Formats: sequence, C-alpha cells, structure tokens
Amino acid sequence: MQKKLFGFIAALIICAAFLPAAFRKEDIKVHKLDNGLKILLLEDHNIPQVALYTYFRVGSRNERPGLTGVSHFIEHMMFNGTKKIGPGEFDRKMEFSGGANNAFTGTDMTGYTDWFPPAALEVMIEMEADRIQGLLLEPQVFESERGVIASERRMGVENNNDSILSENVRATAIMAHPYHWGVIGWMSDILSWKRDEVMAYYRTFYAPNNAVLIIVGDFESGKALELIQKYYAAIPAGPPPPAVLTVEPPQMGPKQVFIRKEAQTPSFNMVYHAPNCQSPDFYPLSILDMVLLNGESSRLYKRLVRDEQLALNVYGGMNETIDPMLFTIYAKPRPGVDLNRLEAVIEEELGKIQKEGITEKEYQKAQNMIRSDFYFGLQTNSGKAGQLGRAEILFGSYEKLFTQMDNYAAVKREQIQEAANKYLTENNKTVGKLIPEGGVR
Amino acid sequence: MKRFITTIILVALFLAGPFLAESAFKLPAPEKIVLKNGITVYYLKNADYPLISFQMLIRGAGYAFEPGTVEGIASLTAELMQKGTPKMDADAIAEAVDFMGASLDISAGAESATISAGSLSEHFPKLVEIAADCLINPLFKEEEFAKEQSKRVDNIKAIKDNPGAAVRPYFFKAYFGAHPLGHLASGTESTLKKMTVADVRDFYKKYYRPERAIAGVVGNIEKAKLIEILEQTLGKWSNPGPAAPLSTIPALPKPKGQKLILVDKPDASQAYWILGAPGYPIGDKITPQAAVMNTLFGGRFTSWLSTELRIKRGLTYGASSNFQTWSLGGLFMANSYTKNDKIGEMLDIVLDLLKKARKDGFAAEEVESSRNYLQGQFPQRLETNASKAGTYAMLAFYNLGFDYYDKYLAKVQAVSQSEAKDAATKLLPETDFVLVVVGKAADIKKQLEKYGTWTAKKITDPDF
Repeated sequence: MQKKLFGFIAALIICAAFLPAAFRKEDIKVHKLDNGLKILLLEDHNIPQVALYTYFRVGSRNERPGLTGVSHFIEHMMFNGTKKIGPGEFDRKMEFSGGANNAFTGTDMTGYTDWFPPAALEVMIEMEADRIQGLLLEPQVFESERGVIASERRMGVENNNDSILSENVRATAIMAHPYHWGVIGWMSDILSWKRDEVMAYYRTFYAPNNAVLIIVGDFESGKALELIQKYYAAIPAGPPPPAVLTVEPPQMGPKQVFIRKEAQTPSFNMVYHAPNCQSPDFYPLSILDMVLLNGESSRLYKRLVRDEQLALNVYGGMNETIDPMLFTIYAKPRPGVDLNRLEAVIEEELGKIQKEGITEKEYQKAQNMIRSDFYFGLQTNSGKAGQLGRAEILFGSYEKLFTQMDNYAAVKREQIQEAANKYLTENNKTVGKLIPEGGVR
Repeated sequence: MKRFITTIILVALFLAGPFLAESAFKLPAPEKIVLKNGITVYYLKNADYPLISFQMLIRGAGYAFEPGTVEGIASLTAELMQKGTPKMDADAIAEAVDFMGASLDISAGAESATISAGSLSEHFPKLVEIAADCLINPLFKEEEFAKEQSKRVDNIKAIKDNPGAAVRPYFFKAYFGAHPLGHLASGTESTLKKMTVADVRDFYKKYYRPERAIAGVVGNIEKAKLIEILEQTLGKWSNPGPAAPLSTIPALPKPKGQKLILVDKPDASQAYWILGAPGYPIGDKITPQAAVMNTLFGGRFTSWLSTELRIKRGLTYGASSNFQTWSLGGLFMANSYTKNDKIGEMLDIVLDLLKKARKDGFAAEEVESSRNYLQGQFPQRLETNASKAGTYAMLAFYNLGFDYYDKYLAKVQAVSQSEAKDAATKLLPETDFVLVVVGKAADIKKQLEKYGTWTAKKITDPDF
C-alpha cells in the first residue's frame, strides 16, 4: 500500500520559501489527445534518465467474484505479447535499449513504470502505446503466467501469517464492497480465470480515456509530444468503464476473527472503517496516523514496543483510496503475549485521543514529518512521476498535488480528536488474532 | 504486487555499469574536509532541495570483527547507541528525531558500522548534534540492553515463521560455518542469550574510534557552515587511546563438493532455496565482466534464471542471482522458490543453466544488451543526496577513488562475449556449492534425494 506520500504535501504551505525549483506546477505541460489520453510532461535534466509512468484507472475495486485478482493478472500479461510485439519482446527490447521497468496493481489503479536512457524514448512510447490495445493472451503464456501468480500468492499470503490474518480481517470488516478481497485475488479464482473473461476485462479498462501518461526527466517536451501523437493518436477511445456502485453498508457492531495455525509468533490486526481520500476527514485521520503509528516516538510504538514490550512492531494507518476503506493497526505481538491485553492497551490509547486529543507538539511533529517526507520523495524522477500519477487517479487531478497543502494546513488540532471519535468506535471495529497452534492467547 | 522483486533491478551498486556514450553523467567529485580529530568527510553541495543527507562508516565496528561467542553484538551495540546518552534518554532521542521529521539510523554491516542521517536543511545542525551524542556518549543502560536482547530473540522466531526470510540466515550458516563473514547481524538465539551489557560496552570501546570514521555529506549547505557544525559535534569525539589493530579475517571458505541442507517447515506450501559459491573481492578486476555476466544469468527480468523458471514455465514469481563482495572475497548466490511438488524440476533447470553458462557462455547480442542495460540503469543509482553521500563514504572506505565508476564504466563498455563467458566459467559453480532448501520435508524430500545426501534440520530447533 502506498499510503504516505500525499501526506507530505502539507509541507508546502509551511515552507513555501523552500519550494524546490525543480518541481513547480507551472513547469508541468498538460495535454489531452482526442481519444481522451491525458499527458503530463515535466522536464528535469538532472540525470540522463527518463521516467515514463502510465497509470490506468483500474484495480481490484473493479473486479467481481470469480474474477478476483484479474487486474493484477492483466498487469503481468501486459508484458506477454501483443499482435506486434511477441511474448517477452517488450522486456528484451527495453533492456537492450538500457531500460528497466516495474509495474504494480492496487485496489484503485494499475501502474506501469519505466526508467530508461533518453535515447530509448521512442521505443518505449511505441511499446507502451502498443500494449494498450494489442494484447494477445496466448493460451500457453496465459497458463504459465497463472502459475507465476499462484506462486506470488503463496509467497505473499499463504506462507506469511501476518498476510493470512490481514486478508481475513479485511474480508470480515468489508462485507459488500470489492475491497473485500485482496489485490492478489482468491486462489480458486486465480486457478480458474478464463481467457475470454480476462480479454473482456482488458478491453473494458485499457483505453486511452482511462489512463494518464506521465513523463519526467531528461527529454524534450515537443519531441515527446510528437512521439505520443504518432503512436497513441490512432488508438480509439473506449466507452466509459462501468462505475463501481456498491456502497459498503455501515457496520453495526464489533467483529472478530480468530485463526489458529502452526506458528512460533502470533499476529494481530485492528481495523476501523475510514473515509476515502477525497473526504475532508481524510486529512485529520492522516495526521492521527502519524501521531499513533509513525516513528519510535509515536504513541502506539512507544507503548506497545518500548514501554510494555507487548509487540515487536506496530504499523498501519490511513489508506488513500477512491472509496472508503480502513484505518489499520497491525501489530506483531511478542510470542506468549496475551492478545486480549494487547487489544485493551491499543483501545486505551485510542480512548485517550478521543478524550483529550493530541498535543500541540504532536500536531507540529506530524506536520514536520509530512513536510520532510514530501521533499525526500521528490528527489527523483520516479518520485515526481509517481506523485503526479497518484494525484491524477486518486484525487481527481495532478493539480491537487499542489493544493492539498491547504487541506493539511487547514486541519485544526481539535479536528483530529473529532475524527477519532467519529471513526475509531467500537461498532466500527474489526479485530483479528492469529493464535499459534498450541494455544498462546 | 510488484511485477518482480526489486532486488533484481537493484543489483549491488558495485555491479553497476557504464553510461551510454551520449550520457555525460558522472559522479561529481566531492570536496575533502578533515576535522581536527582526523575524521574525513567528503562533501558535495546540492541546492536543488532543502535537504541534507549524511552517511558515516566506522571501520571495524561490523559483525565480521565480533567474537563468535557473542555473534550479533555489533548490531546490538549499534542499536543501543541510539538508546540513551547522559543528555537524552532513548525516548528523548526518538522524540527529537521524529519531531524534525528526520531520520537517524546506526547499524552494523560486515566490515563497518554505518550511521545514516537525513533531514531538512534547517534541522541538520540539531540532527548531527544528536547523532554525535549517540556516537560519542552512549550509556548502554542495562534496562535498554535487556529490552533489545529479548526483542531480538523473539524477532528470530518471527523470521522463522516466514520461509522466504528464514532461508537466508540458514544459508549463511551453512556456507560460512564459524567464519566471521557468516555471522548473522541479528545474532542467534544462543548467542543473544549469552550476551551481557558488558559485552556491548567492550565492543563499543574497542571498535568505535574517530580515526576509523569516514563520512559523506550531500545537500543544501555551505562548506564553511558544515565544517563549523561538524567541528562542534563529531569534532569533539576524541581518540580513546591507542587502538588495538583489527583482527585479520581469515580467507573465505571454498566449498568442495556439495553441501546440502534441508530445513523442515511442515506448514510451507512453497520451497525456498539459495545456492551459493565463491565470488570475488570488492573492487576486483573481474567486477565489470562479472556484472555483464550476472545481469544475463540472474540479474534482471529477462535473465536466464527468470526466463526459464518464471517466464517460460510459470514455476515461480521470482528467480535471481547476485554477487556480494567484501574486502577479502565474495559470494555468488542464486535463489528462487516454487510449490512443493516442483522443487526437483526447478533445481534441475538451475543446475543445467549453470553448466550451460560455463560451457557455452552467452550470445553476442545478449552481451551487448547487458552492457546497454548496465549503462542505462546507472545514473539513477546516484540520483539522491543519500545515495551520493553513501557512495562517497564507501569509495573512500575501500580506497577505490572517486573516479572508480568512470574507469569501471569504460571497462564494462568494453566487455566482450568471450570475457563474459570466462567470467561464467570462473564464477558460476558446477560441482562445488552450498544449497539450502527451506520447505515441507515430507513433500519435497523424495525429489531432492538425487542430488546427494542432505543434512536435515527443523525450523523449530534453536539457531540456524
């Protein structure tokens, strides 16, 4: 989960005087092709490298039972052959040109991230444009890649107790909305995806009007735009993808999940329904996230890890999502710790904030962390491209990146207490405990 | 949900390659500052962002120099240095660093300890003051020692719950035995339990010394101001008397034949393995050839390992290989994982690929692609203040010179097809290696029998 970067924007207002010259809204050139593809270009000639990011408005929230995990599967298949570029050719050509890439799928978006030397600009634009429309999904490659995903799920979930628990907790807390399942999908769905269904899903969501293309780095904007026109302009726009209509009903009482499993250490989760990232409540809860969970001086780390030694670690917080998701508290309990006690201590800490709010010093500390992290994240071409893409998809426009500071700065200290009282309530809570077989409780 | 593990892209900095001819990017030469107490600092100004990054290496304060009886003491010492001085207790240090939105980390590698710090420029003087206080005046309170010691014992249990994380410490123990480069930074259950706070104080006294410190600082600060800040802080670190010479690290082990270890984790649905063999020392002249060769064998997404195990057969999410380098020698490691019933098929393919690379080498086009890839991916390794500061400290530490990459990159550019093959023949193992598998023994044992005799271990047994 990429959760924190947007928090850092708060910083801008506090230290506008330090705004790095290399990252100003005015320097971003914005274009839109007739087929709806939005383009953001930012030249930065610091190093001879270009970051080309393509973000699509599709993720696990667009899936349905039986097809869970398919957004992520398509992300993998995007490297596995089109009518023009055979299976594996994308990577071979890219690497031959000195490029590398990665890709990720989230609940709300899928991103393709390329880094390459300036001379590879044309070949990368050509190949990125090609795979928006030309995927083959050849049966043999399809089956092989299914195996890769099954292995990824075994690695990421089934052989990782913390992940097994959080998958269960999320599916328990979220009943109706597609955030119910994880991005990787259920194993039985992974093993039974059908080619025609996957193809239909790809055609629905992979269209220029459902994407934003961002280029940051050592290139010349006029030339880049010419190349984008050349390779993308003929791609037809698609019909607008269907909206996600399911709304999670309010939770009406606390929920609990227990897992008993062979293990040497327990796992623990506590989650609350939380607003989406465009809600005004997102900002106070993000500041609360910092105060509770970020750094060794944060309230929960200090109490659970340092003072009472109940946990090896504690982490979590707000998620930046299009639809309402969860405020999460994940702890790695020490072996033998009473998990009910752990839960009670966390509740006590949340209760203190609900009753007394946070201190002025904590408020300032959170703002400082936000600001510092923002700048550290902006040092690279990829950092800039990633933030622009996320602002565009999750917050509605890249411009929000430069105005969100107002939202953070405008948060009053008492609003954090109000948000804690509104969301971190007993009826809104789901707790999960993974108990090592043999019965440590 | 990344498409492939990041480590595949981020092959060790030392394996990095040259730039394309068109790209004039070079690591800028830093300015040298010597503090009055002898600490050498390499500095570069970068006014693009209101940030400063600092990295310092202290020779000898790493785990390769700790006595085997207290394995893990180097890392524990580094951690406890941040847990209290006469001026600030542990909570005050954490609070002050967090309040600035800064980062401060002291950790132990093999040959050195590393102090990394970064903040907005305006907070840098305060951050260095805290870092220096931790470095010069640590208290090593009994209470903090006990907390960290027991936390580390439990942390090892958590690692053992995750086979993908557990395979690495098992491998290092199998490969190195009692050799100091096989020490686990984390320590082991047995050695952690035997340690006392007096061991920590001894280690600190013996190995933390200003004359063994080298630092890099990059960011938005003027040289005169930096010198003033550093003299008032790190400059106050006085030499505690004559140093005992650092112990000599013995030559690295060279496996003869095959050493096979199977660690039983009965709930694992996937088997995880690492295969290792001797590599080469840091800065060795084979480095460019090894980089070109390993990129092709297991160092990037289209590498042989990834192509055969992932792309063609869908056996795994990730397969890669890399070299780890130290002053005295190095290590080649290949690793992957697959579901229990496929482990035999997977290992057959890996052993065949090793043989094939040694015998046939790589196609001319592959070698060209590898050179291009290493060139194209290099500049971003030095994009941030922190990576530049760390690189300055590291190049100085190993006495490689700040033009190391310029020279080295030119050499990579010139690596030929036959040199890539020679590197494979020299560095990839065929019959002499260590192989460790962590998985469900009941399901995988039969498939492994054909490779030889396996030493059996249980994940629930203490230590590795």
